Amino acid sequence: MINFENELKKFRPSLEIEDAEEIIYNQDLDDMADVLVGLFKDAKAEEMGRQTRPRQ
Amino acid sequence: MKCYQCGAELTEREYCPNCGAAVKVYKRIISLSNRYYNEGLERAEVRDLSGAIESLHQSLKLNKSNIQARNLLGLVYYECGEVVAALSEWVISKNLKPDENAADDYMDLVRNDPSRLETFNQTIKKFNIALNHCHQDRLDMAVIQLKKVLSMNPGFIRAHLLLALLYLNNGNYAKAKTEAQKSLKLDTGNVMAQRYLKEAEAMMLPQDAKSSDENNDKKNGVVRYTSGNETIIQPVRSNVFTRSGSIWGIVLGVVLGIAAAYYLILPARIQSMNASFREQIASISEESDSKSAKMGEYEQQIASLNSELESLKSEMSSYEENGSSGSADNDLMAAVSIYLNNSDDMDAVQEKMDAIDLNNIEGGASTQFTDLYNSFMVLVGTELSKRSYATGYDAYRNQDYETAIRALSKAFQYDNTNVDALYNLGNAYYESGDTDNAKVVYDQVINDFSDTGSASSAETKLAEINNASN
Repeated sequence: MINFENELKKFRPSLEIEDAEEIIYNQDLDDMADVLVGLFKDAKAEEMGRQTRPRQ
Repeated sequence: MKCYQCGAELTEREYCPNCGAAVKVYKRIISLSNRYYNEGLERAEVRDLSGAIESLHQSLKLNKSNIQARNLLGLVYYECGEVVAALSEWVISKNLKPDENAADDYMDLVRNDPSRLETFNQTIKKFNIALNHCHQDRLDMAVIQLKKVLSMNPGFIRAHLLLALLYLNNGNYAKAKTEAQKSLKLDTGNVMAQRYLKEAEAMMLPQDAKSSDENNDKKNGVVRYTSGNETIIQPVRSNVFTRSGSIWGIVLGVVLGIAAAYYLILPARIQSMNASFREQIASISEESDSKSAKMGEYEQQIASLNSELESLKSEMSSYEENGSSGSADNDLMAAVSIYLNNSDDMDAVQEKMDAIDLNNIEGGASTQFTDLYNSFMVLVGTELSKRSYATGYDAYRNQDYETAIRALSKAFQYDNTNVDALYNLGNAYYESGDTDNAKVVYDQVINDFSDTGSASSAETKLAEINNASN
C-alpha cells in the first residue's frame, strides 16, 4: 500500500530555465580522479612531514 | 587518455612518460567510467531512461571529463522532459571541451526553436504549480494542472508519475494504471512507475482489470481467450471493410456533400452568375448606345469641318488670285530690271515676261502697269515675239498643240503685228480640235490682216470648218 504523503515527498520541483545559471555554478564536479589526486597529495605531504620531523 | 598531473598522453605503462606519476589506479578509474558510459548507452537504447541516468551519473562521478557520457546524460534528461537539467549538462560539457563537441549541436537545436523552449519552460512552471497544489492539499487543481502539462509535453515523465499518484490517491486506479503505463512506455526501467502500476493493478477490482485489459487488447489489435489451461492471444481478424468503417462514412459524407452542392448550391450560383451576366450585357449595350450617339456627333463635326475647309480653300484661292497682280507687277519689274542691267540676256527677260498672264490680273491691270508694259514691249516686244513664235511653231510642227497654243498666244501678245503667229495660233487650235477658238482666231486674221496671204489661207480654213460643221 502506497503512502501518498511519503510518495509526494519524493517529487522535487522541476528545474526552471531562470535557475539554470545557478545550478550550473553550484554543481559539484569533483570526480574520483580528483579524489585520487588529493589522496596522492596528502600521502606525499605526510611523507615529507615525516622526513623533516626531528627524531626523538 | 591524459595524465591527471601533467596532462601528457599516457602509454600502456603504469606511470606517466612525462612526469613519472603513477597512473595505474587512475587508468582503472577511467576504464570504469567508460564501462558505466557503455552501460548507460545500452540502457538508453532500450529506453530504460532511469537506469541510463544512474549509469551515466556513475560514469561522471568517476570521470567528470567523460564528454560523451555527459552529452548522453543531457539527451536522456531532455527525453524525460527535464530541459533545464539537459541544458546544464551540455553547458558543462561545452565548458570542459570547447572544440568539436556534440553539445553545440544539441544546444543549437534548443536555441533555434525558441517557441518550443518556451513551451518546455511553461510545462515546468505548471508542473511546479501542480506540485505546490499537492502540498497544499488542492489535489483537484493539481490534476487539472498536470493534464495541461501533459497536453503541452506528453513526454514529461514526472508529470505522468505525479498524475498516476494522484489518481491512486483518489481511488481512480484505472487512470492511475494508464498513466503508469504511459510512464513505462517512455521509461521502461522507471521503478516508481512500476510500483504505481503494481499498486493500481492490485487495487483494481477483477472486472475493472478485465475491461481495462480488453481495452488494451483492442488497442493492441488482439483477442485473448482461454482454452483449457492455456491462454491464447490471437490477432483480431479485420479486413478493410470492418476496420475502416469510418472510411465508408467519409465516402458517404462526400457523396452527400456533392449531391447537396449539385442540387442546392449550384442552381443558386448559376442564377447569380446569369444575373451578373445580364447586368454586364445591359451595361455594355448602354455603353454602345452612348458610343453610337457620340459617333453621330463626330460625323456632324466632320461635315462642318469639311465645309469650313472648303470655305477656307476658296478664301485662299481668292487670296492667291489677288496676289497674281502683285506677281505680274513683280515679274514685269524684274524683266525690266534684267533688261536694264543686261539687254542681251533675253532668255531671262522672256522667262519673266512669260510668267505674266494679262488675262488673269484681278481687277484689271493698273494704268502704270499697262504703260510700263507697253513701253517695254516697244523695246523687246519684237524680239520676244520672234522667240515665242519659233518655240510655238516648232511645237506645232511636232503636233504639241498645247505648247504651241501657249507660245503662239504669247508671240502675238508681244507683237500684235505678227500675223504668222496669229494664223498659226488658229491652226494650232484647229488641229487640236478646238474649232471655236480656231474660228475666232481666223476671223481676227481675216479682219485685221485682210491684205495678207495669211488672211486668204484663214478664209479657206474657216470655210473648211464651216463645211465640216454643216
